[in-house]
Amino acid sequence: MIDIIFLILSLIAIAGGFGMIIFAQPIYSALSLIVCIIALGGIFALLSAPFLFMVQIIIYAGAIITLLLFIIMFLNIKDDNLPEEPNKISTIVIGGVLLIPFNYLILKSFAAMEDKPMHILSNGFGSIKIFGTELFENWLVPFEMISLLLLAALVGAVVYARKENKSEEK
Amino acid sequence: MSSFLLSWIVLVPLLSAIILGLLYLYSIKIKKLSNKVFAIFGLTSPFISFAIAGLFFIQMLQDGKTIHYEAYKWLGVGSYNVSMGFMADNLSIFMILFVTFVGGLIHVYASGYMKDDEGYGKFFFYFNFFLASMLLLVLADSPIIMFIGWEGVGLCSYLLISYYYKDSENVLAGNKAFIANRVGDFGFIVAMITMFYYAGANGFDYVSLQNSIGNVPIEIVTYIGIALFIGAVGKSAQIPLYVWLPDAMAGPTPVSALIHAATMVTAGVYMVARFHFVYELIPNVGLVIAYIGAFSALFAATIATKQTDIKKILAYSTMSQLGYMFIAVGLGSYSVGIFHVFTHAFFKALLFMGAGAVIVALHHEQNIFKMGGMKKHTPVVFFTMLIATLSIAGIPPFSGFFSKDEILLSAFASGEYLLWGIGVLTAIMTAYYMFRLFFVVFFGKNSSEDRHIVELPKSILIPLVILAVGSILTGFLGVPELLGGTNLASQWLSEWKNTSLHIDHTTESVLMLINVLAALVGIFIAYKKFYKYDMTKVPKFSGMIWNKFYIDEIYDVLFVRSIKRLSSFIAMEIDIKIIDSLLMGLSSKFISIGHLVARVQNANTRFYAFVMLCGISLISIYLIIELR
Amino acid sequence: MADSLLSYISLAMILFSIGLLGVISRKNIFIVYMSIELMLNAVNLIFISLGRYYESMEPQVISILIIAVAAAEAAVFLSLIVVLYRRKRSLDSDIFNILSQKSAS
Repeated sequence: MIDIIFLILSLIAIAGGFGMIIFAQPIYSALSLIVCIIALGGIFALLSAPFLFMVQIIIYAGAIITLLLFIIMFLNIKDDNLPEEPNKISTIVIGGVLLIPFNYLILKSFAAMEDKPMHILSNGFGSIKIFGTELFENWLVPFEMISLLLLAALVGAVVYARKENKSEEK
Repeated sequence: MSSFLLSWIVLVPLLSAIILGLLYLYSIKIKKLSNKVFAIFGLTSPFISFAIAGLFFIQMLQDGKTIHYEAYKWLGVGSYNVSMGFMADNLSIFMILFVTFVGGLIHVYASGYMKDDEGYGKFFFYFNFFLASMLLLVLADSPIIMFIGWEGVGLCSYLLISYYYKDSENVLAGNKAFIANRVGDFGFIVAMITMFYYAGANGFDYVSLQNSIGNVPIEIVTYIGIALFIGAVGKSAQIPLYVWLPDAMAGPTPVSALIHAATMVTAGVYMVARFHFVYELIPNVGLVIAYIGAFSALFAATIATKQTDIKKILAYSTMSQLGYMFIAVGLGSYSVGIFHVFTHAFFKALLFMGAGAVIVALHHEQNIFKMGGMKKHTPVVFFTMLIATLSIAGIPPFSGFFSKDEILLSAFASGEYLLWGIGVLTAIMTAYYMFRLFFVVFFGKNSSEDRHIVELPKSILIPLVILAVGSILTGFLGVPELLGGTNLASQWLSEWKNTSLHIDHTTESVLMLINVLAALVGIFIAYKKFYKYDMTKVPKFSGMIWNKFYIDEIYDVLFVRSIKRLSSFIAMEIDIKIIDSLLMGLSSKFISIGHLVARVQNANTRFYAFVMLCGISLISIYLIIELR
Repeated sequence: MADSLLSYISLAMILFSIGLLGVISRKNIFIVYMSIELMLNAVNLIFISLGRYYESMEPQVISILIIAVAAAEAAVFLSLIVVLYRRKRSLDSDIFNILSQKSAS
């Protein structure tokens, strides 16, 4: 049963990823990405990470990619403004061929690890409590740094997105 | 007396030179200072040095010990140290005494001679600096420290020869002196390095070298001796590096007196005497030195007989007298050679200063055939010059007689009769050309009697008189035993005395008589030819001797032009055609490759990512193959 | 299949490769950005599957940090895209090449 769920979710994720890089319109790409990310969230849930499953759906799909969608719509891009990409497919094929050795290498090294059951743990592994304890006990400093990074990104985004002519006047 | 004062013999003139240099800068940049300010510093420092040296001399007379003083560690490599050391032994204190004394008198003389000169302060700056370098050279306790002084005097010599730098010929003369000296310096450096390599393991001062030179193979010692002598040849203007000395007369006359008569040119003789422990092992090289000295003496005397420029005559005579000194030191009679250095310093300085006085009196006229009749105009100069001329000619009881006699005696006693013969011949010629100069300048009839004669200041005349007295008296420091005296100078320098020479008193007196006769013959010929010489009948000079045997021209063809041709060949052919094209070709290739590579940097981010992907792929393939 | 680590890693690698191909093949700057997001997700997946494999919480914490960084990146990146689009009226990433030698000279 879990195998089938995993298979379906993986296929959806891969299809979403492919769709993202194939579609010419960014809006379709963004929607494909959302599909892909939600499918990935399901796979996170399969890996005993319920909190991350939640975060993936709420923050990633619900906030980040939605923000992206919002921006795409906000810019109101016409087809004329889209860049012409004549050799998109050929580049993908060449790149794919070039990536085979890399993938082979990584997978070979992982295949060397001994197999272990990966089914969902029932002892609260991945629950918010354990997760929070880990985060605020051992990862407090990186966590605070992330908050600073987010603040910096906020300021940066505000500075960038100001009205152009204002900075030109200066 | 504490030995640290030894360093102050050098430091006093050095400090004074620095002060003079700063004052001169102040004087030309901000506010003009009067000459007296410079004179105070310039004139006191040599006499302070002289006084200190005198104190050491008295101390050494009492206890006879060599004084060492290490100022500080100059170079330290691992456990090997070269210290800024000073050493006063009998030889160096002897040199110091007369260098400071004669130098001081020349300073006094210069203060009168240069009084109208623009660069009065600069002149004394050079002079004091020169004196400091010379004293460092003499007082050094190791060849390295000696080399500092050696280079210092070379530098000052260059600066002072081209002192009137507005005339390009003087600058050329300075260059010539510098380059000829440099050839010699190279010999010194080579000798020093070789000595360091073979004998420097136990320290590099004279005492350690003297102890360790015995273990060096004799071929190497010969090599060292020859290289050192090349240095001495350069500094002391012997064949073949003498060419700079006559040209060096372009400088002011006090410079000629101080550097090119009394002190610097004797540095070579001093060095050979200082390294006597090297030359004692290799008597054959010593013989070569003696022969080179003898030929230089004869050669220079020959040229001097035909010259008309009063300073050039004296310059060639200096070279000739230096030749005598090298005969003595080459034969191992270092005390005799140094004694001649000592007497020569007095009478040659006197001659130059007298010549300078005449030149000043006649408004910088240097041709002796345009002088004449100076006896009644400048009586003091006349008498002092007479003493000096008699002294250099070798008439007893003037100082030159004793020292020259001893040199010829040691040449005869060593069995080198050829050297002795050349020496006597040179003595005749010396007497001849010196009295030729003397008669022409002081007795010659000059029709143009309406010349205005410049009044000579006291600062010029007083040193003349003191040196004249010195020229008479210094000889008595070295009265030979034959005449019932005790040879004080050679007693003092007993460490440098050649004890192997023995000669019976009859031969000695005959030789002495021959010397006096030779001088008298020379004087007689000069008297016949030039007494009351009529200036209107001056012949045109030509011929080989007048042209100094064309040596300058030969050098010009042999060295200067061929080097010029070589360098122009290198500059035009090799440099431009080969090296430039090679390098420029290389660099242009690099530049074009750079342009090619720069094309990759096309600011296309996707392209970079693609290249990165290719790199990842290649590394992966490599790793797959490697980790299989 | 869902019990083996390798299948999760394979999925992650496939998604990562797709993201990388998107970066190199697409000119549209939005899609380049989304490809980067996809690659981040693939890395997250690797972390989490390894965390499950070793039964450790740390990879999950790292994943949440990555998501936070991705959020910050989204803010800055999207505002940049807005600015660039306003200036150049284009989404072609290739025209942003003022650092190249040709445009500099």
